[in-house]
Amino acid sequence: MRSKGTALILPLLAPVHILILSVIVLPSLYVVWLSLSTSTFGQAPSFVGLQNYVRVLADPAFHSALLNTVVLVVIAVHVEMALGLGMALLFASGLPFRRFLIVAVLAPYAVSEVTAVVMWRFLFDPDAGPVTLALRAFHLPTLDWSFEPSHAMTLIGLLTIWLHLPFTFIIIYAARLAIPNELYEAARVDGATRWQAFRRVTLPLLGPAIVIALLFRYIFAFRLFSEAWLLTKGGPARSTEVVAIYLYQEAFSFNAFGTAAATAWIMVLASLALAAVYVLILRGKVGANAH
Amino acid sequence: MRTSRFLYAAGKAVAVMAILFWSLFPILFIVVSSLKPGQDIFAVPPKYLFTPTLRHYGELWRSWGVFFEGLLNSTLVTAGATALAIIASTCAGYVYSRHSSRFLDAGIVGLIVVRLIPPIVVTLPLFPIVNAFRLNDTHLVLIVLYATFFVSLGTVLMRTFIDQVPRDLDEAAEIDGASRMTILWRIIVPLAAPGILAVAVFVVVYSWNEFLFAFIFTATRAKTAPLVISEMIGSIDGVDWGILFAASTVQLIPVLLFVVFMNRYLVAGLTAGATKG
Repeated sequence: MRSKGTALILPLLAPVHILILSVIVLPSLYVVWLSLSTSTFGQAPSFVGLQNYVRVLADPAFHSALLNTVVLVVIAVHVEMALGLGMALLFASGLPFRRFLIVAVLAPYAVSEVTAVVMWRFLFDPDAGPVTLALRAFHLPTLDWSFEPSHAMTLIGLLTIWLHLPFTFIIIYAARLAIPNELYEAARVDGATRWQAFRRVTLPLLGPAIVIALLFRYIFAFRLFSEAWLLTKGGPARSTEVVAIYLYQEAFSFNAFGTAAATAWIMVLASLALAAVYVLILRGKVGANAH
Repeated sequence: MRTSRFLYAAGKAVAVMAILFWSLFPILFIVVSSLKPGQDIFAVPPKYLFTPTLRHYGELWRSWGVFFEGLLNSTLVTAGATALAIIASTCAGYVYSRHSSRFLDAGIVGLIVVRLIPPIVVTLPLFPIVNAFRLNDTHLVLIVLYATFFVSLGTVLMRTFIDQVPRDLDEAAEIDGASRMTILWRIIVPLAAPGILAVAVFVVVYSWNEFLFAFIFTATRAKTAPLVISEMIGSIDGVDWGILFAASTVQLIPVLLFVVFMNRYLVAGLTAGATKG
């Protein structure tokens, strides 16, 4: 009976697992071997130990890419969370035309990175961009993103927040709607102010959702490639490279598959470390529900 | 008291306007600008009243035929990836929902973890392999890549949705002598349809918009629309913004309408995908 059951379920499991094994798992493991070898495209790899990792970790270009990525992740993801949280609370406080507003907030989810770059490049165009003109009209500083690396990174950050805010908002908003209203009534009966209700009821109960949304966004922002590539190609002079662009350049511009592979595994390990936190939280939550 | 309530309502209204402006202005701006006569695009201050023209669309059609090939490629790749991802995820999600063993529990954790591996990592080993099999620049490569990067989320989602279909229904059908495929097709698929639509939204949006894989694995024959647009940005240093806005609008509108119509499934998928393991 048992073996019959297994024989029957395996064909149903096969497509997903064959795809994942052959396209993601085995190639990722092969990247480990690549990262321990010297190799350029079309040449047989030879084993060199951890040399590639040492080389990457000592490369000033990698340091700059890593610093750019970490600053971008830390600032953009947290600003995004603050906006998403504020919006979720606003929506939960009751709004007219709620369904329409939710659809409007979701709209950027449909926009490709390429199209978003077209939009934001023009909005911040130094001569005719409407945002640039508006900032100038109010005598505010404008973004010289094509010359000034920090300004380019700011624009990349804005772009990525714009593209991913729908995700963060929906996660937090759904979690907020799951908080029973009785808790707020009880808090009011006990004489709690709005702020106290937020501090003592909303925030603790939103905690897990906030952490999950943050982890997802750390992981996805850490691999950011298209927005930065399409806006600056990492330039001027590699100053706006992020880790994924560094990897791409090593592999496809400099043909250094060994160091590219080492970079790739550094990315995987960073993502898995964050993922481990995520799995532990899910486990903890499942455990807590069981009790 | 009355003024403070008024201020509260006014504050809320301002916040809502700001949110609408933030979300919609960039989209409306390129759509509207694609209809502006050439010189009006660069008018300072920006012109919001003008005689709309389809001239940029005409120029796009005449000088960027490759963009329309790109749209066709995007359509084929999106359809293929969506079909593959839905079929694979529904089958596996069904098993994960109805069966349980130590092996399967480990499988689910594996699916969650795999989802977090950055796609750029697999381009390194796949690039030479794809070339060796002469699969570079084919629709098939993109279909397989796009489907694979969503079957893990797809399976988890389908499991969550199939969990809500009562087991009694399967068991009743089984007693009536229905085969497993019949149960899956006649009972599970219709009742878990919202899950299938949620998976479809994710895969359609991803496949239609994806840039990195298309950039690395296609050159001419299978080039997708986003890649052609990226070449328009790059090729023209005096960027022809009119044509670029027209192309962006054509690329954006179908997927935007799709998301608008499917917004309920997108919301259901996002919440289930992030919190259920």
